[in-house]
Amino acid sequence: MSTVVPLLSALPAFSALPLQLVDALVEFLSPATLGEVIVRGLAEASLYVMIAAGLTLVFGLMGVLNFAHGSLTMLGAYLGGLVLVVTVAQSSGAAARLLAFGLAVVVAFGALAALGGVLEVGLVRPIYDRPPLYQILLTFGVTLVLDELARIVVLFYGLQPTTVWQDVLGTKPTFLADSVGVAGVSASGLELFQILFGVATVVGVFLFLTRTRYGLYVRAGGEDSEMLSALGVDVNRVFTVVFALGTGIAGAAGVLLAWDPAWGASVPLGAETLLPAFVVVIVGGLGTFRGTVVAALVVGLVDSTMTWWFQNVIDFTGLPEMVVFLVLVITLIVKPQGLYGVSEVGGH
Amino acid sequence: MVLAFAAYPGVYTLLVNSGLSAEVTALLPRIETLVVVLFFALFAMSFDFISGYTGYLSFGHAAFYGTGAYLVALAANDTLPLVGPETPFMLLLVLAGVAAAVVALAIGTVSFRLSGVYFAMITLGFSQVLYVFVRDWDFVSSAPRDGVAVTGTTEGFEIGVPGVDALNVAIGQLTGDSIEGLLGFIDLSPTEVSFYAIGAVVLVCYFLLQRIVHSPFGRTLIAIRENEERARAIGYNTYVYKLSAFVISGFFAGIAGALFVGFRRSVTPENGFYFLVAGDALLVSIIGGFGTLAGPLYGTLFDEGVREFLSKEGGGGGLLPYLRANVGEGTLATELYNGLTVAEAINTFLNGHAALYVGLLFVLFVLYVPNGLLGTARDRMGGTLAKAVPTRIRRWFDE
Repeated sequence: MSTVVPLLSALPAFSALPLQLVDALVEFLSPATLGEVIVRGLAEASLYVMIAAGLTLVFGLMGVLNFAHGSLTMLGAYLGGLVLVVTVAQSSGAAARLLAFGLAVVVAFGALAALGGVLEVGLVRPIYDRPPLYQILLTFGVTLVLDELARIVVLFYGLQPTTVWQDVLGTKPTFLADSVGVAGVSASGLELFQILFGVATVVGVFLFLTRTRYGLYVRAGGEDSEMLSALGVDVNRVFTVVFALGTGIAGAAGVLLAWDPAWGASVPLGAETLLPAFVVVIVGGLGTFRGTVVAALVVGLVDSTMTWWFQNVIDFTGLPEMVVFLVLVITLIVKPQGLYGVSEVGGH
Repeated sequence: MVLAFAAYPGVYTLLVNSGLSAEVTALLPRIETLVVVLFFALFAMSFDFISGYTGYLSFGHAAFYGTGAYLVALAANDTLPLVGPETPFMLLLVLAGVAAAVVALAIGTVSFRLSGVYFAMITLGFSQVLYVFVRDWDFVSSAPRDGVAVTGTTEGFEIGVPGVDALNVAIGQLTGDSIEGLLGFIDLSPTEVSFYAIGAVVLVCYFLLQRIVHSPFGRTLIAIRENEERARAIGYNTYVYKLSAFVISGFFAGIAGALFVGFRRSVTPENGFYFLVAGDALLVSIIGGFGTLAGPLYGTLFDEGVREFLSKEGGGGGLLPYLRANVGEGTLATELYNGLTVAEAINTFLNGHAALYVGLLFVLFVLYVPNGLLGTARDRMGGTLAKAVPTRIRRWFDE
């Protein structure tokens, strides 16, 4: 023991590291820092829950893992962005801009829901009786087509010399870009807006699942879709409606992302959102909405915490991105079915 | 088939120099593209070996391809301990395979506790962890985001018998050997030499894989795909079988990655480790035939062929330069719809947008031809083509 300690302290890195860590820990636990990290984590969780909610609804009922979900989010971002750019003038006030945002969400939701309905009827329905593998393959193909189509349109209209469509960011009301200080904790307006939007979506989907007839069908269909159809429910129509709803939520999520400078409307947005969305639904347990919400919170908070640590203490730029996948891997190792998952999900 | 591939460079050169030159350069893939087809097909085969034969979708297969590729690039730049730039390439190939197999063992040990969608996702998760890691790790190169180029050595990687100079040929577009006057009349350009050399390695790997598929081990894998419960009930330890298949698959994916760097001499995180690389392998496996070993080769041939045909600015061939050269100015300036001219339409819909058409075709294949090109052909013929075709021909002659 006595020989080891001087040896270690002789190395500058080792002698400095514990002290540095203690300092960092003290700073991290100070109310201001902790508050900021938590707010950012909640904002990220809101984004994650937005992009993952549709995915989990579709999987929960139909057992279809929709690989095209990210591309649909991307389409929503462009479509919503288009509405925003067209409707918002230079001098519009904050209220008008928020109204335009509402309009963009409605348009993106409607258009994507319609597209989702068409996709379900035209492509997914014929292969329900095949192994789940084929549904992954099919939606993966749809992703390729949608991405390339988007790329063609974007190139043709010259929307994007850069990767992020900057015009959309300019349609934000100014108060969203400012920082707000509450009890010593500073948070950006955008983060608070995202949290509001995320909470509204979670509440909305939860009410849909527990308070409406279709929600009842969805929950019942997740258990046993054959029994549901035996009871006289048109299961095919329920599937179409839920698929449309899921893609619609993806579209709305896209509009929310279009205002966030960290994401923005771009063609690669599809792949960028798909992977975290997968992580969230898998960590939560595929097909359980409650699990998805909890997992989004976990991933968001872990992500913002690790980002702080890696920015301030440990120097490795890529690690925050890696953390999301590490959460996935660790969860699956410890609890293979996810936090709230059951071994058999989906009606097929 | 092997003969067709072997004869292709000769026929291609012959045709390019013939009267049909313009049509040939536009339609047929270049030799460079065919080299890509070869090593990527090996990767797709290794992917199909695990996913097509056991039914476990390995969505993170790019991890093994990337491992092999990075190992060769790093060894050549003298970044790795123990293996330096003077290590023979054939040894590096094996080492790349072994390294990838070790990674596969580590990932597989954990992942095979899961099945179905969860398996696909955990392999994807692992490969993305590696992707981000390699992308930001400055050990790899000073700008890890841009990947690694082989700068440590200017000599081409040699395929052949290690240690015997006469039995080695260097591969690579600019660094490879060229051969003049072989058997008195054959001249080969560096790319053509690479084509044959890489083709030989891929062929050996293919035969090895085929041997495994047709062994009792391979049959067990198919049993697992068809009904894992039953396979277990008969007494097979399916976990061990799946894991071994995964490791074997990782080994060959590593070799494919090594060949890739051997020819291209550089690798980036995007074309080595990113999950869409595995997506491409999936794509070509489906088009060629899922669960058939040779299928991915045809799928890759098709995919790369279309991509080159519709390539941006038509680098060295393809549709675009052909149309520019052969369609009159008047036709190109004709207005189709609302100010969109024919030239613009071609630029918009055909220039570099092969992914759209390959994607559409992929969707159609999943919907209507789930067995792929080769699988469907086999179903029609009632057996593997190598056995069915001669029987057919014999029957025609008998009648």
